[in-house]
Amino acid sequence: MYTYDTLDKALLNQRVAEFREQVKRRIAGDLTEDQFKPLRLMNGLYLQTHAYMLRVAVPYGTLSSDQMRKFAYIARTYDRGYGHFTTRQNIQFNWIELGSTPDILYDLSEVDLHAIQTSGNCIRNVTADPFAGAAADELDDPRIWSEIIRQWSTLHPEFSFLPRKFKIAVTGADADRAAIKFHDIGLKIVRNDAGDLGFQVFVGGGQGRTPFVAPLIRPFLPAKDILRYLDAALRVYNQHGRRDNIYKARIKILVDSLGADQFSLDVEHEFEKLDPVLLAVNEKEVERIRDMFALPYLRPDTDAQAGLEEAMEQSNPLRRWCETNTEVHKVPGYAIATVSLKPVGGIPGDATADQMDTVADLADRYSLGEIRVTYTQNLVLPHVRVADLPLLWAALDQISLATANAGLVTDIIACPGLDYCTLANARSIPLAQRISERFADLDAQHNIGPLDIRISGCINACGHHHAGHIGILGVDKKGVELYQLTLGGQGNRDSAIGKILGPGFDEDGIIGAVENVIATYLNMRTIGETFSETLQRTGHSPFKERLYDHP
Amino acid sequence: MIILDTKGEAHGERHGFSEQQEPPLFGATAIVSAAALKERFAPTDTDSLPHTGVSLTVDDDLSDMAGYFPYLAMVELVFSQFKDGRPFSTAVVLRRDFEFKGAILAAGDFLPDQALFLLRAGFSAFVVPEQFTAKQFKSALLAYSVAYQPGLGGTPDLVKTLRDPATAVAAG
Repeated sequence: MYTYDTLDKALLNQRVAEFREQVKRRIAGDLTEDQFKPLRLMNGLYLQTHAYMLRVAVPYGTLSSDQMRKFAYIARTYDRGYGHFTTRQNIQFNWIELGSTPDILYDLSEVDLHAIQTSGNCIRNVTADPFAGAAADELDDPRIWSEIIRQWSTLHPEFSFLPRKFKIAVTGADADRAAIKFHDIGLKIVRNDAGDLGFQVFVGGGQGRTPFVAPLIRPFLPAKDILRYLDAALRVYNQHGRRDNIYKARIKILVDSLGADQFSLDVEHEFEKLDPVLLAVNEKEVERIRDMFALPYLRPDTDAQAGLEEAMEQSNPLRRWCETNTEVHKVPGYAIATVSLKPVGGIPGDATADQMDTVADLADRYSLGEIRVTYTQNLVLPHVRVADLPLLWAALDQISLATANAGLVTDIIACPGLDYCTLANARSIPLAQRISERFADLDAQHNIGPLDIRISGCINACGHHHAGHIGILGVDKKGVELYQLTLGGQGNRDSAIGKILGPGFDEDGIIGAVENVIATYLNMRTIGETFSETLQRTGHSPFKERLYDHP
Repeated sequence: MIILDTKGEAHGERHGFSEQQEPPLFGATAIVSAAALKERFAPTDTDSLPHTGVSLTVDDDLSDMAGYFPYLAMVELVFSQFKDGRPFSTAVVLRRDFEFKGAILAAGDFLPDQALFLLRAGFSAFVVPEQFTAKQFKSALLAYSVAYQPGLGGTPDLVKTLRDPATAVAAG
């Protein structure tokens, strides 16, 4: 894992001191709330319905066990004993006092953590494939490049007051577990015909009220030019992005209005003007960072699977968990294990301080002290010996984190919704809990197969409803919470935006509608066909008919 | 209003957006709008331009003033509001594309917390907004001794590139 050196630590300490002063000035009245707002947002501090919320970055989704323990400490000391993992590989603490925030940031800095640029109209926490460094299908570790981008984008003198927020995601695998095409800039690591490492660059994706799947802007960008290209793209955006309408200010609107080809030309024109040496990624720096992410030697164990098979023969719950919550590791005899934060009836993404401490201990025991945070609001232990999976599963089960539902119908993404968020029109969490309870039966879930349900409490789409196989959007219609249903979204290699099926439903109605959609799928599917595949084959009509013509 | 330079030291005053400057400000005896510049001067007027500055809003287009920049004494970039970060890019483009060597002055609405960003984007000095004090800006200029990105000016003590051994300094 990346560890901070003196430069990183100096900058972080100075940032904490700066924010302490900013809070002092705000409390003394030397800064108005209007002036303080962008400053606190650039430190991840929101004013929500009930209290301040602090959003802390998990850079590119990678955490050490000690960092996780620090989250547990923050949750116990400054919050109400829990934290909420988000769709952008952050953690949010929902019950924070303004005066405590400098101390929290100081505590976090002790383990190289921070809240820098987790909000505000700046370049946000860079996200990456949560299986990075472990996945068998990976071309290169995206965390290396994410860390380089993190450094370049941190307190950038030119790009800290952009027209709107700016999100970058990186994947090193074709499968795309980082939903890169729903980001302002999505980077996919590729090799060209000559074997050189580089990126496919997608620009202008996003969700919100105007969703776009990002078009490909640069088919191949040499890796050493990544910062030069980002610099060019950000300058075009900073100069030409709209500032007259907050809803039209994201780069996706600029790309759409110019057209992808013209935007690409504008960026290339700017790129050519930039000094190729000044912003070239330093090779030694790449190697320094690469070394820190290098996997230690793990002895392959080709016999481990047989042992696991025996254990699974004895335990059907273990078998189900292994089938859904583990993935192939690049080293034979190891596995990537997903720790579900979606227990039946639970709040998606929430973890208690005790659970965080236990996951940290389990990471030390079974996963080289490493933990990942996924954009689907789960945790991952990336380097687990296959032989240890039964023990890990049993330990997770003790703390209610062994739900065998990764990628299934109850693995729901939901934003905080009206329960916490001042922007929301409708509640998301209670809806997620009710759907989770409705489909609690694991046999039924496994029978339904892979299915993403995603819920947003407003059109800002923090619950990624546009990218859900089944998307639910909360709207306010004359003071009544209603929920619109969309079908067909995807947040992977084949990213797609779901289509609205018809008029919205009330809270009871939407539960029934989800049931009907799933029942329709089960009736129509062919052997082995997933929900997405059935929907692609049949189109939306059979689902629409079932919901609106023959409810 | 007081003007502070890159070291946080006073460098004269700016009275509103007045045109005439006495004493001259960064060599300019007059600071005119973009429209007035194009109306009153030709880019070939190399007698007057070295004593003239231009005050640009966030909406002014640099490209149709390209011929003036080699001769102008100074450029003032006016922030319409502190949240609008366009002047940061304008300063970078002035330094790089137009190779502008004169002073770039920040004016208008910005916060002490943006002072280091201003200087690192290529500004030479700034007019302290009325609601803040020079002391607050001087303090903000000392907030950081390190940075990850290459800076364009005014901060020789900051790391210039991402850990380039030729330019990096030890972190304090």
